[in-house]
Amino acid sequence: MPNPELPPVIELHNLKKRFGIGDAEQFALDGIDLVIQKGEFIAIMGPSGCGKTTLLNIIGLLDCSTDGVYNLDGRAVETISPRRQARIRSQQIGFIFQSFNLISRLNIIENVALPLTYKGIGRTKRLNLASAMLRNFHLNEREYYMPYQLSGGQTQRVAIARALVNQPSIILADEPTGNLDSRSSHVIMEELSDLHKRGNTIIMVTHNPNLTTYASRVITMLDGRVDTDTHTPIEEPLLVAPKRPLGSVVPKAIKLKDHASRRKRKSKKSHRVHETSHK
Amino acid sequence: MRFLLLNHIQNANQSLRSNRLRSGLTTLGVTIGVASITTILALSAGASKVVGDQVDALGGNIAVIRPGATSPDPLSGLTQPNPHRDFAASTLTESDLALIGNIPHIEAVAPLMVLSGTVKADSVAPSETPIVATSPELELISNLKVQDGQFIDNTVNQDTTTIGAQLSIDIFGTDHSIGKTFTIRGKTFTVIGILKQTNNPINYNSIDFDTAAIVSLTSGKQLNQGLPQIQQINVRSDSVTNLNEAIINLNKTLIVAHHGEHDFTILTGNQISQPTSQLFYAIAGLTAAVAGISLLVGGIGIMNIMLVSVAERTREIGIRKALGATNADITIQFLIESLAIGLGGGITGYTVGYVVAFGISTFLTFDPVLNWEIVTVALTLSIVMGTVFGLYPAIRAARKDPIESLREYN
Repeated sequence: MPNPELPPVIELHNLKKRFGIGDAEQFALDGIDLVIQKGEFIAIMGPSGCGKTTLLNIIGLLDCSTDGVYNLDGRAVETISPRRQARIRSQQIGFIFQSFNLISRLNIIENVALPLTYKGIGRTKRLNLASAMLRNFHLNEREYYMPYQLSGGQTQRVAIARALVNQPSIILADEPTGNLDSRSSHVIMEELSDLHKRGNTIIMVTHNPNLTTYASRVITMLDGRVDTDTHTPIEEPLLVAPKRPLGSVVPKAIKLKDHASRRKRKSKKSHRVHETSHK
Repeated sequence: MRFLLLNHIQNANQSLRSNRLRSGLTTLGVTIGVASITTILALSAGASKVVGDQVDALGGNIAVIRPGATSPDPLSGLTQPNPHRDFAASTLTESDLALIGNIPHIEAVAPLMVLSGTVKADSVAPSETPIVATSPELELISNLKVQDGQFIDNTVNQDTTTIGAQLSIDIFGTDHSIGKTFTIRGKTFTVIGILKQTNNPINYNSIDFDTAAIVSLTSGKQLNQGLPQIQQINVRSDSVTNLNEAIINLNKTLIVAHHGEHDFTILTGNQISQPTSQLFYAIAGLTAAVAGISLLVGGIGIMNIMLVSVAERTREIGIRKALGATNADITIQFLIESLAIGLGGGITGYTVGYVVAFGISTFLTFDPVLNWEIVTVALTLSIVMGTVFGLYPAIRAARKDPIESLREYN
């Protein structure tokens, strides 16, 4: 539910990121101009090496640009101290990675509770919050499992739960379904869609064109630049939060398996392209 | 902040538990270092305490006069640890003895003239057998107990001797050797008394009375070509309160007798045991320095393991940073881990060190000492080690680039 009257949450002006020096110099981002409003669900697409992940890392304050301006909530990021940036990551940004990035020696509930550690929340409260979040994702029976004991879809749901436990306003997803089968991908995308409807800003990097149907705006990148940008606001007004609880899409999504299969058949050709690009 | 520190401790605990064997072996390295230092310090303190306790047990009313002035250099006691100074002519004379005996409040005076010589009887005693020429008052001053017979006496024949129980066994094969004879430098002595076994070779007289042969000063002079070589004079006052007054008079008398030359030293209380204590502490210090090498090795072990841990957990560091950890959070997390290893090793090492010290003390004549100084040394060393050797890996971990870290193979 982007509101054009509000200041943009993310503003990028002529953003550049250079790797290497001299002859080996290469621009991963070569003058990105982008304005993202609160509540947008953006899908960033493009071929490998076009700078999608680099852009996501810069937006997530994990990396810094070589040149250009990045304003987060109206404040230039370069003026924010590394300590404050870490606090922003902790409180405002949730990361979802393609490879899940759970800590293997911690169990599920501890993994989900991890971001709360850096907010200085006590262990008991931390575990309670993590448990509540896992319950939303129907993983409450897996709380004390280790990451390797879960399926790919479950692991990604844990990763989403971890990204959400701090109630961040911005969610950055780097190919969240890249390691999942189509059914699990569908479940995860329904989750993200549900989060979007709750007012979260979601920026998702994907190679899968099918997943762009969930996004309110699709940006295609090429050679470090924005190639196309649909910039289409979502049609339905979603100012009222959905009545269903967070994560309730999971059983629904499972029921919608047939629907997903139909969608899959329709986009059979696109899937082939997607698989080829993965290979 | 309080919660965050608690969280770091919980994290460190989890991390160390997830690699129990590795953490255990690293802790063992520190344990060995701290244990060896604790053992050495506890035993040396025990040895020093023995001498101090003996002086205290004598009631605090004894003083010791030694030849030579007190050196202003505190290390002279270590470089010249032998108070008898065998090779120098003593500044204490027989006339001094007579003068000291006449000073008010002085109850007993006993000279000590320690000779070296081989005691020949049924079997030959060890060559280092101390032959102590003294007066009968030594029994009173040094609180020597006679097991059988009597102590040397002015009224009996001068060629008699009282010997230590161990010497009696060494040369006669029995501790009932009264009436038996042996020779020292060709002069025959008759045993008239056997001292009670003390198992106390470390004492302020620096004489192991268990293996000593005590003869009269007259006999001692005869064994030394008629020359008295008094290496120490033990003095006992009639009461503790009168000791100071007696010492003042003693000082005055001796300075006058020595023509104004202050060529003697009067020691009382802890001063008597000080040269011995200093020597033990110096030996302990040197040995502890050697043991410190094992501590250094333990510290390098901590650093090595922490560097391995940082390398292994690079991806975890990236994840933590992505989830909001600051560089300081990462530094503290790893520092707490190394500190936990150091402190764990320190506490275990301190305990093991004392167990070893008590084990060793069963073969020695003194017990190790438990005191707060050694606790402080052990804990400080372990904390310093954990911090110093853990700092570099912790900083290295904190400086990891989150992007590179997340790319690391899991």
